[in-house]
Amino acid sequence: MLRIAGHLFMALSAVVLALPIVVVAASALNSGRTMLFPPEDPTLDRFWEFFVTETVWTTALLNSMIIAVGAAVLAVVLAWPLAYVLWSSGSKASKTLAALGSMPFALPPIVFGVGLGFFWAFLGALGTIAAGIISHGILFLALPLVTISIGLQSIDRANIEAAATMGATEAMIFRTVILPQTLPYTISGFFFALVLSFNEFIVMFFVSASAYATVTLQIFNSLRNGYTPTMAVGAITFITVSVLVFSAVARWGDLPRLMGADQSKT
Amino acid sequence: MTTIDDTAFAAPPARSRPNWASGTNLILMAIGAVLIVFCIVPFGLVIAISFGQKIEGAAWEWAFTFENYQRFFVGAEWPDTVTFLYLQRLGYALWYAVIASVLAVATALPFTYLMTRLSRAAQARWLVFLLASLSLSEVFIVMGWDILLSNRSGLPALFKATGLTDWLKDVGWFDVLREWGLANPRNVKFKPSQFATILTMSYLVWPYAVILLYPALSRLDTSLIEAARTMGARPFTVARTVILPSVRLPVIGSTFLLFVFLLGTYVAITVFANPAQHTTAVSIYESVRGASLNAPFGATQAVILLITAAVFLGLGQALNRASGGAR
Amino acid sequence: MAGLHLEAISKTFGTQTAVERMDLSFGDGELTALLGPSGCGKTTLLRMIAGLETPSTGRIMLGDTDVTAQPAHKRKFGMVFQNFALFPHLNVRENVGYALTIAGVSKSEAGTRADRLLDLVQLTGFADRRIGQLSGGQRQRVAIARALAQEPDIFLLDEPMSALDAKLREEMQVELRLLQQRLGITTIVVTHDQREAMTMADQIVVMSKGRLEQVAPPDQIYNAPANSFVAEFIGKANFLRGTVRDAGVVIGDSYLPISPPPRFINGSPVQVVCRPEQITLTDAGPLMGEVVFVRDLGASREIHLTTPIGTLVAELAATMAPTTLKKGDRVGVHLPVAALHLFPDGAAPDQTAMAAE
Repeated sequence: MLRIAGHLFMALSAVVLALPIVVVAASALNSGRTMLFPPEDPTLDRFWEFFVTETVWTTALLNSMIIAVGAAVLAVVLAWPLAYVLWSSGSKASKTLAALGSMPFALPPIVFGVGLGFFWAFLGALGTIAAGIISHGILFLALPLVTISIGLQSIDRANIEAAATMGATEAMIFRTVILPQTLPYTISGFFFALVLSFNEFIVMFFVSASAYATVTLQIFNSLRNGYTPTMAVGAITFITVSVLVFSAVARWGDLPRLMGADQSKT
Repeated sequence: MTTIDDTAFAAPPARSRPNWASGTNLILMAIGAVLIVFCIVPFGLVIAISFGQKIEGAAWEWAFTFENYQRFFVGAEWPDTVTFLYLQRLGYALWYAVIASVLAVATALPFTYLMTRLSRAAQARWLVFLLASLSLSEVFIVMGWDILLSNRSGLPALFKATGLTDWLKDVGWFDVLREWGLANPRNVKFKPSQFATILTMSYLVWPYAVILLYPALSRLDTSLIEAARTMGARPFTVARTVILPSVRLPVIGSTFLLFVFLLGTYVAITVFANPAQHTTAVSIYESVRGASLNAPFGATQAVILLITAAVFLGLGQALNRASGGAR
Repeated sequence: MAGLHLEAISKTFGTQTAVERMDLSFGDGELTALLGPSGCGKTTLLRMIAGLETPSTGRIMLGDTDVTAQPAHKRKFGMVFQNFALFPHLNVRENVGYALTIAGVSKSEAGTRADRLLDLVQLTGFADRRIGQLSGGQRQRVAIARALAQEPDIFLLDEPMSALDAKLREEMQVELRLLQQRLGITTIVVTHDQREAMTMADQIVVMSKGRLEQVAPPDQIYNAPANSFVAEFIGKANFLRGTVRDAGVVIGDSYLPISPPPRFINGSPVQVVCRPEQITLTDAGPLMGEVVFVRDLGASREIHLTTPIGTLVAELAATMAPTTLKKGDRVGVHLPVAALHLFPDGAAPDQTAMAAE
C-alpha cells in the first residue's frame, strides 16, 4: 500500500517536473507564429529557422556556445590548481580561497551580476564576449572545484606512495597517477559549468549590456514581445544538450558518487 | 581489528613537502589575486556605488551619501512623506522565497528518500533527469509554466474543455477561486497571481533541493530503519523518529540555501507576479538597466539584498551549529 | 650488496613515540619478519625504510651507502602495500611495467618484461585484465610482480597476506618464501601473524610499543623467548607466578627446581613459562593435577588441568595422549626442567597487546 503510494508520488513528481519542458518542446511544432499548446498544424520549420535562417538566433546560439565553452575551460583551469593545493596541503589559505571562489555561486546571482556590470564598465569591457566568458568562468568556478576535489579525495594515498617507491618523482606521480584518475571528475566539472553557463540568464544580462545576445537573453527579449515557437526550439536544444551531457557523465563517471552518495554502497 | 595497524600513528603523507612549498605558494598567490579581483571587487563596487549620487538626465557620480539608503527604508521625500514601497518589495521577496523554498524542500524530501532506495543505476537515471531540469534556464521554466498557465492555452483551456470549470461553478468552489484571484467571470485564471509565482519558483529550485538532500539521505543507515521496523514501528513512526531526526541538519541547511538563492529571482516575478507585488530584484533591474536609470539606488538595493542573504546564510549556519552541538 | 642496517633509528609524531631508538640489521638475501601487535611501530619502521617516513633520529645504511636523506623514489626499494595499491586506471601489464616506464624504458620493452614477471608470479595471460577484474590473490601477485619489476635492492611487504582468506594465505606464504629464496633478495615483511612470520622468515624481529623485544631466528624466538612478552605473543604458553628460592621457584605451596639455577636473588618475584607441548602427563608424580577440560584438535589433544601451582594447559600429540582421559581424572604432571623459562615478574604479559592477537 505504502509502496504503491511511494511509486505514485515519484511518478507524479516526474510528470510535474517534465510538464513545462514537454509543453515548451511541443509548442515548437506550431506552424503559426503564436505559441499554442497543443500545437496546431505541426511542422519542423521552426527548427530550420532557429539553426539556419534567422541570424538573430544563429548568432545568439554561437555566442552562447563560445561563452559556455570558454567559461567552462576557464573555470576548470582556475579550479584545478586550487583543488590540488586544497587537497595536498589543506592549508588555511587554500580553504579561504576555495570559500572565496564559491562565494559568487552561493549568493543571489543578481547581486553578482550588478557588480560585474559596474566592474566591466570601469574596465571599458562591458558588452564584450570576453567579459561574458570571464564572468561565467568565475561564477561557475565552484562546480569544477567541487567535482575535482571529490576526484582527488577518491585517490588512494597508497597509490601515490606506491608510485614513489617505484621511482616516480612528484611531477611524474602527478602525470601518471593523479591526472588520469581525476580525469572523469575534471570532465564532469567542465560539463556542469558548460551546461549551467549555457542556461544562465541574469549575470549575462548585466554583463552583455544588450551589446550581444545569448540564446537565453534572446528568448527573454522575445518573451516581452510575445512568444514565437522558434524560442521553443531553443528550449529543446538546451534540454537535449543537458540530457546528453549528464547522460555522458553518468555513463563514464559515477554520477551518484559525484552527487555525494556513499561510496561503499553499490 | 587486524587490518588496523600503526598506520594510525602515521601523519597523512604527501603533506609538507618542502621542495613544493614555494611552488604551491606561487600558485596560491596567483589564484588568490584572480579571485580577489573577480570575486571581491564586483561586490566592493556595488557597495561603493550604493553611496553614490544620481546626476539628473545623465549617469551618476561618486559621493558619500546615505540618501539611497534613506530612500529604501522610508522614501525619498522623508520626512515630509513616508513610503515603504521598497521595504515592501523586500518583504515580497522574502515572502515568495520562504514559501517556495519550504514547499520545495517539503516535497523533495520524501521524493529523495524514495529515490535513494532505488538501485544505483536507477538513481543515475533519475539524477540525469534532475540535473537536466536543474540546469534548464529560469527563462525556459518560466516560459513553460507561462504556456501551461496562460488563459488561451494550457490548464485553463483544459479546465474549460473538460467541463471542470462548469463543475467548479456548480459546486460553488469557483467563487472561492475568484475571491483568491484565481478566476475571472468566465474561467479559472492562474496569472498573474502569487500562486503561479510561488509554484514556478518552487519548481525552479526543486531539483536543487533533491540534489542537496541526496548525500544525507543516500548515506542514511538502513540498518537503523530496519532495526526500528523489527521493533514494531510503523512506517510513519519510522519516518518521524528515525529518518527525520537524522536528516534534520541537511533539511534546514538546504532550505536556507534555496531561500537565499530565490531571493534574487527575477524572470518568474516579472512574468507571474502582479506589478504591485514585485520584488527587490525587479526593482534593482529597473534602477540599473530599466527606465529609471539610477545605478546608485540599484546598487543600494543590491547591497541590502546581499546583506539579507548573508544574514540568512549565517543564521542557517548558526542554527545548524546550535542543533549540531545539542545532539 | 651487504644488507640493510638501521643505526639509532627512531620516529616520533608530535609527542607520540612510534618507534624508539633502535639498531637493526637485515642480512643480505635474508627474509626478516617485523612481528608485533597493532600499534607496535612495525609499519612505521617499514615506511621509514621505504623512504615514505623521515626518521626522527638515526641513519639507514644500504651496505655502505647512507640512504637516510634519499626520498622514496630515489631508493630502489620495491614495496607491496597492505591493500596492494594497484592503479585502477591501468591494466595489469601497465601496473607491473610502471616502474620501468617511469625509468624511461620503452613501452614495448616494459611490456615484455612485465609479461615475464607475470610468468614468474604465475599470472601468465592476465596482462590485459583491468585491476577490478582480479581476485584478491591475483591482485597480490600483481603487486608482488610490480614491486619486483625495478629489480629492487630491498623488497618490502606491508601485511601482504591480510587481504587474503585463511587458506590462500598459507599457500601464498610458502610461495612467496620460495620466490624470495630463488631471487635471493633481501626482504622485510611486516606482519601481526606469528605463523606467517615463522613460515617465511630467516629472522624475526618482535616489537611491542615501539620497542624491540627480541631479534632472532624463528626456532629461538619460540624455544628461547627473551622475555615474557615474546613468550606470550609467540605460540601458546603457561604462565606461573612465584618467588625464587635457592635453585628453584616457590609457587604456592609447591617448590619447582630449576636447572641451571635461576640468576635471580632469593625472594625475587618471577614468572615461570612453559610451552604446553613440553608438559608430559604420567599416572602419578610429585605434582598431581585434575583434568577440567579436554579439547580434541585432531592431530593433538589439549588437556586443561588444575594443579596446586595453578592452571596448566598441556598439549599432547594424539598418539601420545590416552584417549580415555576425561574430565575429573587425576594425573601426574611433569614439567621438564629444561623447558622452563624464568622472567622477572613486573614485566607481566601485556593484556592489551594480547587482545590484538
